[in-house]
Amino acid sequence: MRKILHADCDCFYAAVEMRDDPSLRDIPIAIGGRPEQRGVVATCNYPARRFGVHSAMSSAQALRLCPQLRLLPPDFERYRQVSAEIMAIFQQLTDRIEPLSLDEAFLDISGIERFKGSGTWMAEWLKARTREVTGITISVGVAPNKFLAKIASDWRKPDGLYVITPDQVDAFVSAMPVGKLPGVGPATAARLERMGIADCQALRQRPIAELIDHFGKFGRRLYELSRGIDEREVKTHRERKSVSVETTFDRDIDDQQARCTALAPLVERLAERLDRHGAPSIGKLFVKVRFDDFTSTTLESGGLAPKLDNFVTLFDQAWQRGQRPIRLLGVGVRLADAALERQLVLFEELWDPR
Amino acid sequence: MKFSISREALLRPLSLVAGVVERRQTLPVLSNVLLIAGGDGLALTGTDLEVELIGHAELDSLEAAGSTTVPARKLMDICRSLPEGAMISLALEEGRAVLRSGRSRFTLSTLPAAEFPNIEQSKHDAELTLPRGVLKRLIDATGFAMAQQDVRYYLNGMLFELVSGVVRVVATDGHRLAVSESSAGVEFDGSQKLILPRKGVLELGRLLDDSDAPITLVLGPNHLRARTGGYVFTSKLIDGKFPDYERVVPKGGDKKIIAERSELRQMLSRTAILSNEKYRGVRLYLEEGNLRVQANNPEQEEAEENVTVDYQGASLEIGFNVGYLVDVLNVIGTDRVLITLSDANSSALLEAVFEGDQETPATLGSKYVVMPMRL
Repeated sequence: MRKILHADCDCFYAAVEMRDDPSLRDIPIAIGGRPEQRGVVATCNYPARRFGVHSAMSSAQALRLCPQLRLLPPDFERYRQVSAEIMAIFQQLTDRIEPLSLDEAFLDISGIERFKGSGTWMAEWLKARTREVTGITISVGVAPNKFLAKIASDWRKPDGLYVITPDQVDAFVSAMPVGKLPGVGPATAARLERMGIADCQALRQRPIAELIDHFGKFGRRLYELSRGIDEREVKTHRERKSVSVETTFDRDIDDQQARCTALAPLVERLAERLDRHGAPSIGKLFVKVRFDDFTSTTLESGGLAPKLDNFVTLFDQAWQRGQRPIRLLGVGVRLADAALERQLVLFEELWDPR
Repeated sequence: MKFSISREALLRPLSLVAGVVERRQTLPVLSNVLLIAGGDGLALTGTDLEVELIGHAELDSLEAAGSTTVPARKLMDICRSLPEGAMISLALEEGRAVLRSGRSRFTLSTLPAAEFPNIEQSKHDAELTLPRGVLKRLIDATGFAMAQQDVRYYLNGMLFELVSGVVRVVATDGHRLAVSESSAGVEFDGSQKLILPRKGVLELGRLLDDSDAPITLVLGPNHLRARTGGYVFTSKLIDGKFPDYERVVPKGGDKKIIAERSELRQMLSRTAILSNEKYRGVRLYLEEGNLRVQANNPEQEEAEENVTVDYQGASLEIGFNVGYLVDVLNVIGTDRVLITLSDANSSALLEAVFEGDQETPATLGSKYVVMPMRL
């Protein structure tokens, strides 16, 4: 039986800010972009949450809900430093760590003998040690797999600790509403509801064939999740699949401005970023356009070099799909698969020389 | 418009024509099928503006000639689910199409026939007739190698090369190439080259069978039209330059292997099970009289197989995408296959081995080129 631990910092960016300036501790604060630049809230502290502010909300909306909200610009350099300190503490327990972001990670603690092998004690030590060294509180969940560990860490947030032992899995999962399952968003939850399925108890009653009929491949996953089964491993290293940059404009721009002035600096930033990643070989180029009605489109094409004129060509086609003022523009590359490169080609001259 | 027709008379032409209709359409009328009822029966047309297919069905009775368009897939699904032998009547009533059969009644939306686009008839340069079976074998022998949604758009189709009495077709996705030719029953003088887009190739293939019944191809500068068995098929052509395929057909490989085709195909398919699901690489170890094939995957699982082959010469280790080899072995029609190799970085040539009386006028000359994977 595996033992997985999920650790999640409580409102991480806000916690770092409050640690470094205790006067922020009891007033509502949020980290995010300015409303006049159409910023969104990345994180906010618990006093702000009481006003209904939450992450991914537009800063303008957040200030309407909570006029006294202190809006701070993010300082990623500092967050990265704190994150590295926290990951180093995790590392003292195990090197089987899968970081999900700066403030969240899975740890595979199966077979660890310290703390008499107790997941609860390991979690308690992690929480205490993290607070001691960095001043940040974390919530921890321990369970036999990733999906349950993540739900467990959320169960007693903030500063929470929740353990789901193997013999509790069945009861725990069966009472769970389907919306809690990873991959089940509002749309899937509504579809399940229409089928008369509100919780995992009801989901378990359905034969796997019926679920596959309705949801395709995801049907099998629903079948397993509703039984508390999740075989995904803790992946210690992740392959980078793409490199991209994007920007939201203070004011919507038109296609002419995008073509003539906005794309060039983006492509330049992309080139810098590619250099920083050691100039990996490129599979496809893509552009992302978000229009003023918030519809987005992405267009990609292979066999091209990441040069401005190629991005302009892609942009022209993407623009045709919406033909509206542009709110956000992004350019990027999907990285070539190292293994695919090993396939030799006929007609060498037809491949874009880079 | 009002007519009646038997379910069976309608179903086959309707499903072929509806096959051309794309599921997702930008123009509403393109998800419809055009119906024209007249003295000589019912004409059905489906189009996606690139490929157009007109089918024909015999009517049971005609009360009023006329035309309209109705949703193709819905009409097909209704006909398909009616009982066998059902008689169907269809009438245009107040702008809607009413379909009646026994105690069933369906009212379908319509769009005016005048809104239905047809592919412009361009002038035609040449005409060519050949047996349906020959064209089918040519397409079947090479179609799998066509590219799909490649930026090199001219690879997303099949090259037809017509040179005095010979039809040659070529398909490649840049990793492997298939070329096949036939002169059997081909009536044509002159020379012509065209690229038929992938969808056109697939839809044309659906119209064909193994018979010797003739199919006439009308070649224009931008279109290919095919007439056979009551169907008129039209496809736009790809305007582009197909790469010089002759240059990549290897000449002078020194390692010639003859293997039993189905034995080799089965062992490769088995080995493929434990190859990397995405890249499907396998290693081939060639030595005198034996070919060993090995595959492994990220889970460290491993497959190894040996097969006796007719080969004398130096040993060689070479990697391939196993799917590319199996695709070829699936379409080669003979019991034995000749594989010519030279080194680990050069392409393999695969050909049929004709023995004794196997060679008939309908025989295709096919060559398959597969590039290796670096191991």
